[in-house]
Amino acid sequence: MRLIAYLLPRILAALITLFGVSVLVFLSLRLLPGGYADILLGPFVTPEARALIAQRYGLDQPLVVQYMRWVWAMLGGDFGVSMVTQRPVIAELLRRAPVTLQLALIALTLALVVGYPLGVLSGVRAASRRRKRDFGRVVGAMGASVPDFVLGSVLIFVFSVWSLWFRVGGYVPFGTDPVGNLRTMLLPGLTLSVFGVALILRTTRDTVLRVMTEPHITAAVARGATPGAIIRCHILRNAAIPVVTVVATYFGFLLGGAVIVEVLFSVPGVGLYIFNGLLNRDYAIVQGGVLLAAVVFITINMLADVLYALIDPRVGAAR
Amino acid sequence: MTARAQEPLVDIADLVIGYDTGTRQVRALDGASLQVFDDETLAIVGESGSGKTTLGMAAGRLLPPEAQLLGGRINVSGVDVTSADDAALRRLRHDRLGFVFQNPTAALDPTMRIGRQVALAMGGRPGPEAIAELLSRAELNEPQRIMRAFPHELSGGMAQRVVIAMAIARQPHLLIADEPTASLDASIREKVMATLGRLRAESGASLVILSHDLRLIARHADRVAVMYGGRIVELGPVVQVMQAPAHPYTNALLAAAAGNEAPGERLRPIPGTPPVLEARCEACAYAPRCALRQPRCEAERPEARRLAGREVVCHRAEAVIGAEQPTRQEAR
Repeated sequence: MRLIAYLLPRILAALITLFGVSVLVFLSLRLLPGGYADILLGPFVTPEARALIAQRYGLDQPLVVQYMRWVWAMLGGDFGVSMVTQRPVIAELLRRAPVTLQLALIALTLALVVGYPLGVLSGVRAASRRRKRDFGRVVGAMGASVPDFVLGSVLIFVFSVWSLWFRVGGYVPFGTDPVGNLRTMLLPGLTLSVFGVALILRTTRDTVLRVMTEPHITAAVARGATPGAIIRCHILRNAAIPVVTVVATYFGFLLGGAVIVEVLFSVPGVGLYIFNGLLNRDYAIVQGGVLLAAVVFITINMLADVLYALIDPRVGAAR
Repeated sequence: MTARAQEPLVDIADLVIGYDTGTRQVRALDGASLQVFDDETLAIVGESGSGKTTLGMAAGRLLPPEAQLLGGRINVSGVDVTSADDAALRRLRHDRLGFVFQNPTAALDPTMRIGRQVALAMGGRPGPEAIAELLSRAELNEPQRIMRAFPHELSGGMAQRVVIAMAIARQPHLLIADEPTASLDASIREKVMATLGRLRAESGASLVILSHDLRLIARHADRVAVMYGGRIVELGPVVQVMQAPAHPYTNALLAAAAGNEAPGERLRPIPGTPPVLEARCEACAYAPRCALRQPRCEAERPEARRLAGREVVCHRAEAVIGAEQPTRQEAR
């Protein structure tokens, strides 16, 4: 019951955010120079043809009506048809979603496995020292500052010259050839994970460092608890909320389609699809893709909100 | 007190501890010496900044990394705290020491139910009955309900009783309570202090209470140590010290504390501020605030000496006792 009272305003806020995103996506495409007729029929379109197109696609209606019809269609699962392939956008997006999901899971796993333990270690070490400088901050700053197109390009260069088991491009589905799939997916996953490692490491480190100075940790030390027990019993859970927040944000970012990395490594995921849609001015794809990414992002952050209440009993009680 | 023959439980000698603030070093303790004996309650009293918390936490080496040991030694229950390795320190804290902190709600893990925290403090795998029994000993009614609660669901007084229960869970030899009632409502301070005193007496442990409130503490302690400028400036049985202070600072603390004033009488705040030492103080640290100071007080560091049943660090102690309680000077 308390959980519902806690979640209701958050669901409401999520819906409002979603509405805002949809308006933004809708308007930004209407603001682009050149109407739909210009794209469809080329530069030498006659006014009659233009009017015909406008009438056919409802472009002569007021913006509000156009928006309502668009939203209504999407609620029914109709995201429009790709101009290039003449196939429903939603089907194309869903077909590519598993590829992006796999890439996101690889990157997230790598980032957690490397970033989280290092962050805890770095935070615990820093708390017991007078000087707070150490490897955690260096690695964190470096990882967060390297753009993924630079890192990806370097990796592509290195592994194109020396294969070293990995393969650049040439995606095969996991179902057909698991090993071949991993050979192509690990490099883009690695590229995406570096930022995640830095993000998770720094957040974990700072939070652990803060929790370490809380009186209840001093109290546990005063009871003669071992460092291992203190970390396990008192620090991990108390330091979890900010970590959950960045992990949720990072995962949402990954699932939205890591456009640059997917393009760089020719991974046929959602990001590459949206990118191609943008190049071809295939606006239905861009609209649908961005909106879907927003839905995923907002949903994941909602789940993080639920997790907060489960992690810290004070969160749910505060309302 | 040197008159006792037994081995002291805590023996702190000439302890000097400084804090690195980045730009300079501030001395929290400037040659503090103190002994705590078995089965007694000792109150350490002083303003904030007098060094009492540093002294109390140093007994378990619980100071933050900025703190530096500059001199002296600490022996607790046969363990040399200043040189012991981590494992020996953990054993000492685990088996012999119990701490009670100023803010009980903050001293409990906010994400863990009370029952589990108490179980962790007890060690091993105590059953729910054992946990409830321990909580009942700390005078908590409805221990079953409290075990299921989270710290933020308890009142300050209840939380402090939980912290006290956790501190006595393993029958420590020494309990150190840092301002155990300062964050509580005035109405329950006395009760929590009484619980703490009763549990100490039952277990035969020694209790060290750190406080700024001389009058509250006086009712619950056997001996009192008054701290100023990182030193113990007066140390003796409560009765002697309260009735006839030998240090002008003790006098000032009594005058500043509410309690015994006659109707209409004003409390007298202590003029001036506590000193911030950056090196060994080569004069009397209290001299700038002292009404009785003489040139000697500003030129020579006073050493501890015995006078009228207590130890005092003051060049003018005879004059202090004489001025305050002329008729009782020789009574004790």
